[in-house]
Amino acid sequence: MKTWRIAGLVAVPFVLAALAIGIFLFAQQGGLAPYRLPVDDGRVVAGDAATLRRGEYLARIGDCAACHTARGGAAYAGGRGFATGRGVIYSSNLTPDREHGIGAWSIAEFAHAMRHGVSRRGPLYPVFPYEYFATLADADIDAIYAYLRSLPASANVPPPNRLDFPANLRPALVLWRMLHYRPAPAAATDDNRGRYLVDGLGHCAMCHSEREPGGALASGGHLAGGRIPGSGWYAPPLDAKQLQRYPVEQLAAYLRSGTSDHGAAYGPMAEVVYRSLQALREDDAIAIARYLKSIPARRAREAAFTLLPEPQRQPEVAGDGAEIYRHACADCHGNDGEGKSGRYPALRDAVAAIAPDPINAVRMVLYGGFAVTTAGNPAPYSMPPFVQQLSSAQIAAVTNYVRENFGAQRSRLTAADIEAMHGIVLD
Amino acid sequence: MLRATLLVLLLALASPARADDSADFGERLAACAACHGQHGEGVRGAEYYPHLAGKPAGYLFEQLKGFRDGRRASTSMTWYVRFADDAFLQRIAQWYAELPPRTRGADTGAAELTAERRRVAQNLVEHGDPARDLPACSSCHGANLAGLEPGVPALLGLPADYVIAQFGAWREGVRNGAPPDCMHDIAGRIAADDMRAIAVYLSQQSNVDGLRPAPAASFLPPRACGSLPHAQVAK
Repeated sequence: MKTWRIAGLVAVPFVLAALAIGIFLFAQQGGLAPYRLPVDDGRVVAGDAATLRRGEYLARIGDCAACHTARGGAAYAGGRGFATGRGVIYSSNLTPDREHGIGAWSIAEFAHAMRHGVSRRGPLYPVFPYEYFATLADADIDAIYAYLRSLPASANVPPPNRLDFPANLRPALVLWRMLHYRPAPAAATDDNRGRYLVDGLGHCAMCHSEREPGGALASGGHLAGGRIPGSGWYAPPLDAKQLQRYPVEQLAAYLRSGTSDHGAAYGPMAEVVYRSLQALREDDAIAIARYLKSIPARRAREAAFTLLPEPQRQPEVAGDGAEIYRHACADCHGNDGEGKSGRYPALRDAVAAIAPDPINAVRMVLYGGFAVTTAGNPAPYSMPPFVQQLSSAQIAAVTNYVRENFGAQRSRLTAADIEAMHGIVLD
Repeated sequence: MLRATLLVLLLALASPARADDSADFGERLAACAACHGQHGEGVRGAEYYPHLAGKPAGYLFEQLKGFRDGRRASTSMTWYVRFADDAFLQRIAQWYAELPPRTRGADTGAAELTAERRRVAQNLVEHGDPARDLPACSSCHGANLAGLEPGVPALLGLPADYVIAQFGAWREGVRNGAPPDCMHDIAGRIAADDMRAIAVYLSQQSNVDGLRPAPAASFLPPRACGSLPHAQVAK
């Protein structure tokens, strides 16, 4: 009996400390307020033509439809799957269907979900970028709401999420929020339009930031670049140093056309341009370019990148990269990686060459691809796949050659690294 | 009459004359050439990928959209066309359609049929099987199997593995044509060993004369398939 009492006394400070930490973290993620759904105050959002046009534009440049539309499915009716480290999450139906969409939501409830990530379904998974939408102006949220309400209702029911324990339990999201979510300070009017679009509606940091191994955004890694979770692509940093080779006008044109003499958008960025950024107004594109070029560069990251977990490293001579480059690449990209203006991007200082992570370069050499079609680039050029024409050792050698000569990256890929990539999902 | 006129107008609008840069246009398709050949003639040693040259533009356009929108399944084709708009896909289709058709048969798959299996295949291709309500291939793809504008492709010299895979995809609903999807229905009526015989037989047929698809509505297929818009107009 006595030992139990002593054990209890010893445990008390630990329990109290755990409780205190819990209360502190709970307060840090905003306390109880996010979980109190607002009551419908009866406010009606005007659905006039100008508001709808504005809402359509904002929804487009916020790229809502890309996530909330399944391939071949009705626009905004949800059902697109997202692979995360903890399973697959399906996007929700945003059409005005009262049962399966958000037709029964008041504007207050919609705004609350946008800003706090909690809806009548409970806390929302952080694949939904509410952290960024918290800074949106009321008028913009109203316009997006009005536009979504004007869409044809779809009774589409997205497939149920397939998540591992404990991520499959919504209450576990409260724990996630306590650890990783810190609400933005109350929305102040941001007179920097570029920052408002990049760090708000555009949620660029979802891909272009460093992430912790667990998937949360790394502190201090905002727009510092990193491997995109669940996609097998590397997103470059967005800052003055990374973008110094782009004049503002050229960067703005790239955002809208998906191509430039320094490189075309590929991988996930191709989709962002195709579905979203090509609709940018020129003034907004310029504002974004100005803001991005004003961001001071972060420290260079130290972490060593590997293509896939644990590639089999073996010392071997990979082949003569320079020779392969002359035969396979130089016709289009030039002997010195200078490219051909208007047709083939330069490789010198290209993202794939200078990135610390070689995955983009390897993917492009293996599988090639088309630049996206946009008004600014209606008939794009393409990069052929080399997976059938070159051996893994040759692909390693030519990729090393490009990254060392045109990107000043120490690149030591081997055939085994390339073979580890063969099973990667083409998306 | 009005619908026919509209269709003609639409087709005219959909295929703008772009002779100015047509030579240059092919350069944009380096990614396609890796598997389908520099001029859409196919690649020796890559005996799965179909040749594209000389197939009807309407057919090629539908397939490209199908890969983009999920009516056809090919991870790599979808990768290349997923962010391409209709106008660009139409130009790609037009570019391959205007190239001279491939004249030789497939490079492999020859001499793998017994005389008996070959007779069965040829009979199904030319006459079908009324007992199974199976139309002859030639009744839609043409007596010379060179296809029919704007939606029916030639069947000459396609790799046997490719044709077998298509039969399977139609049957399982992985490849979907515009409804009513005749090939889904037809593939469901062909026995597996007959599929193989037909595929090998077709792979051995060569288009030595470089025949192009028959002009639209030059003959009337027996069924109103979704891929035969002119047949619906004629009804």
